[in-house]
Amino acid sequence: MRNIAGGVLRWLPLLLLAAAWEAAPRLGLVSPSLLPPFSRALAAFWQLARDGDLFLNAAQSLWRLAAGLALAVVGGIGLGALMAWYRPVDIVAAPLVRSLYPMPKSALIPVLLLWFGLGDASKIALIFLGCLLPVLMSTYNGVRGVEITLIWSARSLGRSPLAVLFGIALPAAMPDILAGLRTALALSFVLLVSSEFLMAKDGLGYLISFLGDGGAYPAMFATVLAVALLGFAADRAFLLLTRRMLAWRG
Amino acid sequence: MSGAAQIVFEGVGHSYVPPRGRRVQALLDISLQIAHGEFMALLGPSGCGKSTLLYLLGGFVRLTQGAILVDGRPVSGPGPDRGVVFQSFALFPWKTVRQNIRYGLERLGLPRAEQEERAQHFIDMVHLTGFENSYPSQLSGGMRQRVAIARTLAVRPAILLMDEPFGALDAQTREIMHEELLAIMRAQRMTTLFVTHDVREAVYLADRVAVMSARPGRIKEVVPIALGERTGPEVMKSPAFADYVEQLWNLVKTEAAQAVAGSR
Amino acid sequence: MARLILNPLRETGSILAVVLAWYWASATHLVTDFLLPTPLSVIQRIGADAMSGDLPAALERTIGAALAGFAIAGVVGTALGIAMARVRAVRWFFDPLISIGFPMPKIAFLPIFLLWLGPTIAAEITIVAFTVLFPVATAAEAGAEGIETVMLWSARSLGAREGQMLWQIVLPAITPQLLTGLQIALPIALITAIVAEMLTGSDGVGGAMLAAMRFADSPGVFAGIIEIAVLGYGLVKMMEWLRAALLRWHSETAAW
Repeated sequence: MRNIAGGVLRWLPLLLLAAAWEAAPRLGLVSPSLLPPFSRALAAFWQLARDGDLFLNAAQSLWRLAAGLALAVVGGIGLGALMAWYRPVDIVAAPLVRSLYPMPKSALIPVLLLWFGLGDASKIALIFLGCLLPVLMSTYNGVRGVEITLIWSARSLGRSPLAVLFGIALPAAMPDILAGLRTALALSFVLLVSSEFLMAKDGLGYLISFLGDGGAYPAMFATVLAVALLGFAADRAFLLLTRRMLAWRG
Repeated sequence: MSGAAQIVFEGVGHSYVPPRGRRVQALLDISLQIAHGEFMALLGPSGCGKSTLLYLLGGFVRLTQGAILVDGRPVSGPGPDRGVVFQSFALFPWKTVRQNIRYGLERLGLPRAEQEERAQHFIDMVHLTGFENSYPSQLSGGMRQRVAIARTLAVRPAILLMDEPFGALDAQTREIMHEELLAIMRAQRMTTLFVTHDVREAVYLADRVAVMSARPGRIKEVVPIALGERTGPEVMKSPAFADYVEQLWNLVKTEAAQAVAGSR
Repeated sequence: MARLILNPLRETGSILAVVLAWYWASATHLVTDFLLPTPLSVIQRIGADAMSGDLPAALERTIGAALAGFAIAGVVGTALGIAMARVRAVRWFFDPLISIGFPMPKIAFLPIFLLWLGPTIAAEITIVAFTVLFPVATAAEAGAEGIETVMLWSARSLGAREGQMLWQIVLPAITPQLLTGLQIALPIALITAIVAEMLTGSDGVGGAMLAAMRFADSPGVFAGIIEIAVLGYGLVKMMEWLRAALLRWHSETAAW
């Protein structure tokens, strides 16, 4: 009973916010065309879900997200590990990585649209390129930070350098790598939505601009909220996965 | 001393350039021989390069000055013939006790059942029966170091390198570990290089103690310890033991004072 | 002597290689000029824009909007974070909002700000501030939470009043974490600012770049990428420099 009361108390601010959202336009404090009441947004959301528009566009967006992230994870971990493990690779690649790392990746949107067009490829390429460096850097720093005696121990137990990289260095760097993946996950949503705002024929970002352009503001508000909550849910799911993978930390 | 030298250091030196500063000569002209089955302690103040010497023998640090021979062959890189135990335990934290110990065995191409059996044998030997599925984070310092010792011994190295293995443990645990190490040595004699800055530990465990001087690290003197078979901590109460401790302490004392003065 | 030549070559070798590969690909017409303009045409474009005054004006507009949003969120977020750590009611109200909002893709709210404020610089500033607010408030709260009680006690026993405590103890104590939060927020703020510009169609570097794409002016697009890359690099370096300057008392080693 106390737990329930505590939970209600903890999440009460969200309810208050929703209530304020509902009340402000209804009491005439703001124009309903600028802020449709919460209940109308919910109703519009229900309509979108029933029509299937929401799921079709969400599926399209999630596919782009998954493909771009998967490429970035494989490429970033691979390159980051190679750079950390082999000095010549490090010497060659480090200046390039260091100078491109701080670049605001949204600058790539126009050129990727130019190269790959309006479809999936430009969004996947954007997410891949945008998330590659965060994953690469966290892998690099993680592997570089592995306690040297761990690597020495594995080597003196008779394992080859490559076996030690995969069997010891990468697992030992996993906390850092996962932290980098979490950053990349958040970034991937930002890049996905941005590019779908700017130029797309489908996807959640496109749906938001389409609804906004058509003046369907309740539905637009609802979709914005849905995208935000999707990002939140993805982050929480990733945290759960992280906790499970790092259970050995005790 | 039994048999010919298994490990030979010949004019070994080592120098490095710190991130900001001039080249430092850490080790200079070290020559030392360790016989088959001999327990050699390397004693010296902190910063004298004794661990570096062990890393050179382990093949972790590249040798540029002098020669190190093991069974007549020069050292080139790490290998399972030289097992290592570090002060920091160096356990793989995402592997259980059993998985840690099996890691070195997986490479040997033994059938799975035999791997398990051998891992269990060494788990029992270091008295960790019942903790097979624990993670290192769930164990005490002494238990972690036992896992590390078992992991190293399980691949049956001919040579054991120990880098201040008990330095991170409290005094009581350290004494228990001394007895366990001596028991292991009685059962399975290995050529051992044991790095320490603890004079009593060196006298209690070693057949010979090599005392090192501070920067640049050199071998100052090699003292044979004739206390016979160690059967228990009673030896430490004998006058002979006290004499050795005093003799070695006098050798180390001046070096330690210099090292402290030098580090200011 | 060999070092003097080899070290700079090492530092820039891979960047040079990319430029050479770019030059080679465009010179041999491996890809069309439209998809990959020659490096020379891009550099000429940057030069021309710089001379005509378009580039400085665009940079001013972009940096202005990004830093204004960044500064507003920096101040508000810091105040909010400290208040959350020290006042229970504030924490009760904002904690669930901040913890849900932190991992959300805030850029999704951009169309709402555009609806409210129109395609103006105010909308750009608002979305940047909204993006930066969450990491800054989180960092400030964590920092203020982490202040050791003994430090506060000793300050108080030395006669510090509440107002002095804030400026002399709390703010300096949370500076390292606050700066970390700002450093995390900066790249996202820039990404957001550029996207916002593209959507408002402003005269900033991002807006100009999108306009260039619409007119199929590929040297303009590539010039934009380089300008934005340099801008991002400069701002991130400035942030690192600021951190080093502010934290001279702090024992941290610089990581690259």
